[in-house]
Amino acid sequence: MGRLLRERLPRYPATPVLRSAVVEALMPAGVRQSWWMFWLPPACTAVATALVMLLWIAPSLPSAPAGDPAQLVARAVLAGHARSIFWGESRSDVVPAALPRAIAESGVGLNWVFTGDEEIQLINAKPTYLEGRRGIELTYQDAAGHTVTYVIVPGGSVALPERGRVQIDRWKPLVRKENGFSLIMWRQQGLLCVMASDLVSDEDLSRFKQYFVKVRSSTGF
Amino acid sequence: MADDEFRQQALQHLDALHNLAVYLTRNGSEAEDLVQETYVRAMRFSHRFQPGTHLRAWLFQILRNTFLTFYRLREREAALSEDGVPESEAPMFHDAPARDSESAGAHMDLERALTKLPEEFKTPLLLAEVEGLALEDVARIMDCPVGTVKSRIFRAKERLRGYLTDYKQ
Repeated sequence: MGRLLRERLPRYPATPVLRSAVVEALMPAGVRQSWWMFWLPPACTAVATALVMLLWIAPSLPSAPAGDPAQLVARAVLAGHARSIFWGESRSDVVPAALPRAIAESGVGLNWVFTGDEEIQLINAKPTYLEGRRGIELTYQDAAGHTVTYVIVPGGSVALPERGRVQIDRWKPLVRKENGFSLIMWRQQGLLCVMASDLVSDEDLSRFKQYFVKVRSSTGF
Repeated sequence: MADDEFRQQALQHLDALHNLAVYLTRNGSEAEDLVQETYVRAMRFSHRFQPGTHLRAWLFQILRNTFLTFYRLREREAALSEDGVPESEAPMFHDAPARDSESAGAHMDLERALTKLPEEFKTPLLLAEVEGLALEDVARIMDCPVGTVKSRIFRAKERLRGYLTDYKQ
């Protein structure tokens, strides 16, 4: 058996990226500082040049609307949602163990959470940080393979605009489309809740709204 | 031992540490985090390392302790029975070097079987049989007597044989 392990078991050597990261981490502070000092003057010059050019052309740039807190939150949720999709963070067999820990670490007192039915299943739960707020991120997947991310964070100061509110069942959340994704946002007992999904067509959006109803009615704080 | 010398020697064991980290975490990025944390800790506590003792074993010990402290909480072992993993579990990596199908199948079976072992069996088996560490060093890493290490390695092999027989059938 020992021979079998030595000869047949694949070895996983460190990648070049890891090697350079470890070398960098082990580098003495003085060496790191001198490395930075070497690059600092040209970097500062480049930044200063860029700032001057920015000031020069800024007046001709189209002006953006004032900072919308809801939009900042929405974009942060979408970034996490995209990670869930692209990096395949779903690990359905981990959820039973991960859920209590994720709830405990998130600081969000969830008494009850929608874990799924024949249409949509909870596949991941983890604590998350959203715009400086600690919360919990739940990931669902439906029968067609669409991923739905559900983030709950303390959001006392985030105001959701009236424009874009849509009546869904007995609630009126904010529904948005952003960067090719759909978002449903609402406030609930001092918490800000956001659902994100790639369900964007009219037919898919109505399905997404059904998922919202299931999640909204089943989540207890 | 001078810091530079310590660094150079410690880096020589990077591949071995990463290999063990992969088998412990079963996750490429977590394995890399674990290895980096191991090196950071090793540097922080390098003054505690006694020159003349086995640096490789000391690094393995730090890696294992770090794993137990930070990573085991996430391990699915906690949610499963000692012997159980889902049958559909995928191999750890999909980008393994190309091999002939029979050999690759054997590798995957062996990996899958190894995955089923609890950490306290898997680690001594890998350290002794794959990394070639002396049982005394393994015992120091595992913080248990040599007799216990022998027993765990024996039981680990027995279980592996059983799992591999199951796969062949």
